[in-house]
Amino acid sequence: MLMAAAACGGNDDSTSTATSEASSSAAPAGAALKVGLAYDIGGRGDGSFNDAAARGLDKAVAELKADKKELEAAAGETDAQKEERLRLLASNGYNPVIAVGFAYSESLKKVAPEFPDVKFAIVDDDAATGANISNLVFAEEQGSFLVGVAAALKSEKGSVGFVGGVDVPLIHKFQAGFEAGAKAVKPDIKLQSKYLTQPPDFGGFNDPAKGKTAAQGMFDSGADVVYQAAGGSGSGVFEAAKAAGAMAVGVDSDQAALPAYADVKDVIITSMIKKIDVAVFDFLKHAADGTVQSGKTVYDLKADGVGYSTTGGKIDDITSKIDEYKQKIISGEITVPSS
Amino acid sequence: MSGQAEGTTTAPAPAGGARATSPARRFRVTTPILLLGGVGLVVLLSAVRIVTGASDITSGGTVAAALGLAVPIGLAALGGLWSERAGVVNIGLEGMMVLGTWFGAWGALQFHSPWAGVVAGAVGGALGGAIHAVATVTFGVDHIISGVAINIVGVGFTQYLSKLVFEKMPGGGTKNSPQLPEMGRLSVTFIDGPLRTLEAKQWFLLSDFAGILRGLTQGVSWFTILAILLVPLSYYILWRTAFGLRLRSCGERPVAAESLGVNVYLYKWAAVVVSGLLAGLGGAFLSIVAAGIYRDGQTGGRGYIGLAAMIFGNWRPGGLAGGAALFGYTDALQLRQGGVSVHALLLVVALLLAAMAVYQLVRQSRTVAALITAGCAALVFVVFMMTDTVPEQFTTFTPHLTTLLVLSLASQRLRMPAADGIPYRRGQTT
Repeated sequence: MLMAAAACGGNDDSTSTATSEASSSAAPAGAALKVGLAYDIGGRGDGSFNDAAARGLDKAVAELKADKKELEAAAGETDAQKEERLRLLASNGYNPVIAVGFAYSESLKKVAPEFPDVKFAIVDDDAATGANISNLVFAEEQGSFLVGVAAALKSEKGSVGFVGGVDVPLIHKFQAGFEAGAKAVKPDIKLQSKYLTQPPDFGGFNDPAKGKTAAQGMFDSGADVVYQAAGGSGSGVFEAAKAAGAMAVGVDSDQAALPAYADVKDVIITSMIKKIDVAVFDFLKHAADGTVQSGKTVYDLKADGVGYSTTGGKIDDITSKIDEYKQKIISGEITVPSS
Repeated sequence: MSGQAEGTTTAPAPAGGARATSPARRFRVTTPILLLGGVGLVVLLSAVRIVTGASDITSGGTVAAALGLAVPIGLAALGGLWSERAGVVNIGLEGMMVLGTWFGAWGALQFHSPWAGVVAGAVGGALGGAIHAVATVTFGVDHIISGVAINIVGVGFTQYLSKLVFEKMPGGGTKNSPQLPEMGRLSVTFIDGPLRTLEAKQWFLLSDFAGILRGLTQGVSWFTILAILLVPLSYYILWRTAFGLRLRSCGERPVAAESLGVNVYLYKWAAVVVSGLLAGLGGAFLSIVAAGIYRDGQTGGRGYIGLAAMIFGNWRPGGLAGGAALFGYTDALQLRQGGVSVHALLLVVALLLAAMAVYQLVRQSRTVAALITAGCAALVFVVFMMTDTVPEQFTTFTPHLTTLLVLSLASQRLRMPAADGIPYRRGQTT
């Protein structure tokens, strides 16, 4: 489900000096914000990516007194269905409309020009651009670097693994950051990686059985920490870690704290947090104030858009070391590769 | 169980009949040949392991993973067998599996027992089968159309149910269930230690057998054992009982069966419901044992793969089990140590092709065919020698490619039930 596509970048300077004047016409002052949100496959309750977006929306509903309408994507749907979903939200008076996930890129490109007065935002994609589109993207490689540091410090066997859901550019960022972080601590560390499916088969984000098998293979061949960026397949990685008495690193949300993973929380030493909730809430706050900027906003370590979690206290002894690397990344001393 | 010749057709079959196909077979697959082939394969794999150093291709972990990946596919295939032997094409296996994943998870959570989930999954799948039976048997709808409809309805229906049920549970959502209670596993503990030691020695053949044995005896879910037992049971019922004979007669020549007093509608109904039940079991295995959680879309096309495994197995229980095992094994290889293991597999393929070329030349005197096969063998061998690992993009579809290759090589010998897929109306004369 989630992520990907960012690779088509190159449009960094599409900072299109947004026409935020138009926004005031859509929402009369004092009236409640009507927010439309379209989830990617997995939807609310996926314990990962979509849930993070849902938290941002919930916060906005509570603090900004916004109205909300949420629609979910189905597995294997076409772009036409996604277009229809966005159109439905926009034509029913929802403004702004948020599309969660790069999968909406093509659809948003088509729908956004049809509703010039509606503010659109898309998470994880900077390929769909327009005067009324805000691209909320993250520096996943920076957050992944930090959990790579944590994994390498915690690994007793000097061997760590990475399980990616689908072999797409966005997930490559997770892997690149993680491996760079692990190598920064132990240059001779053994690295393994596996992508569960190849695009256009996005089933790899939804197949815990495959995630489990792949992680088992890594544990059997010597790894003792595995980082997963595999959406719904991640629960299989946690199961495998539990069965092998090994460790795992979560992704997107603070997964050790989620009720969905209560049974396996002991093996999750940390999670790479991608603060989609912050990004979504920021965007909605700007929408409420009428100060929406179109174009790309990058949420990186400096902007506190990515980070790592400490729930469970498994990495309390090494947080100072991780934070050293964090400062180096923020100051620019370390540049994290993104592919 | 696979030691028999082609399905013992009951129809009088004046026009050539099924048996006319048997001369095409060069030899009968008997139990000794099967055993010999199995041992030969292990020897081959062991040699390849020594040469390439890809130690994962016969490890206990791989074998255990292969078993786990093969079971859902095998159960779906078995479901397809029941239905198609009675003459109803069941492309709705995927949808019935989806129903099985949801109902399996629901049953396990509702009654706090994985076995309740197994029963619920079977019932859910059978429900899908019943819909298929109403449409195809009672109303004579085209089998493919009904099957595709079930695949679509299965997904939509489970999403709706998830919203009603799982969303209210802690840890659940509209697309997934909370973690499911775990099912018991069988381990023959006293041999685990010695086998592990032997496997770690990396000796020729001995370590491989130790690995395979360890994979088959340690941590095997009871559900896996049930699934394996269903294969010989299906064989017994379909080929060794009067009920099975009548059921298969409906798939070969329903008019003749009806004229002999067989209630064709009833038998087709029974077959399609059992088919759904088995596919539902496959789905329940996926959510309860393989994943430990229900996720929307987790079947990932395994129902279709099951259908392919059934065709691969020539509409026979032993054959489809082999197909499922092959798929499960190659899938386990590519998921665990993709690049290295699949690279080693290239050598296995090259050697098998070379052996086949020799066989074609010496025993069959088919010079041209032998040359082509030898050419392919050489090509694969060159690829093997030129590379150190197989790129990720290729490893992922290894299972599909392997199955396709074997299927295309074996397709000349396949024979589907004669009246498979043809709608039957009571009282028709041809």
